[in-house]
Amino acid sequence: MTLAHYLTVASLLFLIGVFGALTRRNIIGILMSIELMFNAANINLAAFERFLHPEGVAGATLALFIMTVAAAEVVVGLALLLAIYRNTDTAYVEDYNLLKG
Amino acid sequence: MIEHIVFYSLSTVVLVAAVCVVTMRNTVHSSLFLGLSLAGVAGLFAALGADFLFAAQVMVYVSGIAVLIMFSVMLLGRASDLHLRQVNEQWMAAVLICTVSSAGLLKIARAYCGTLAPSAPTPDTRAIGRLFMGEWLLPFELASLVLTAALLGAVFFSRSEASR
Repeated sequence: MTLAHYLTVASLLFLIGVFGALTRRNIIGILMSIELMFNAANINLAAFERFLHPEGVAGATLALFIMTVAAAEVVVGLALLLAIYRNTDTAYVEDYNLLKG
Repeated sequence: MIEHIVFYSLSTVVLVAAVCVVTMRNTVHSSLFLGLSLAGVAGLFAALGADFLFAAQVMVYVSGIAVLIMFSVMLLGRASDLHLRQVNEQWMAAVLICTVSSAGLLKIARAYCGTLAPSAPTPDTRAIGRLFMGEWLLPFELASLVLTAALLGAVFFSRSEASR
């Protein structure tokens, strides 16, 4: 197994996430795609640590911080989403046009 | 040999489940596939020898975030959603963007074609703990502050308007 294998899987996962974030209509679908992108970045960090800097643990530590921020983001994002859903009664992003006036 | 089998089966699971997440019409199904994909990523961490990351991935992502997303899908879902298209009109442009970026990303990955792992992986939980309690103490404490703020924010935003 070379580093290129892991980087290829991570970049494909990231691109699937980008595709989902660009095309999903449901806002929870967009959040799920963003989670996929976070995971692709974490795979990259772990792979770079394993193959290029096996003596340190900076890659795993940074990935842990990413996980923390992702967890906080999901919690706040879903709470905001519930609040928006209560006001607009829809979960589709093209209907979120309150700021249009 | 066994390393190859593990890697290819895990990456197949991750990528197929990820494609299902972005293409499934039923959001409940796609959130279940999200859990599968995150579990596959945990397996990839184990294959990379990152033991603490594997445990954190299982605890935070698979049993935390995936379950939370499943809850909100079920709170927000409606039966009529199943008949609606879940993909917007710009999917052709999105495919184009992904193709163009995949060319660049795979070119970068090809630069590391010959990079093999220098040594067998060693357990790194102890080293991570030392780093968190020593050199990276400030970011570690800031992370706990961020989590507290997220908790308070979630409680604040999800209260109903009347009780605010």
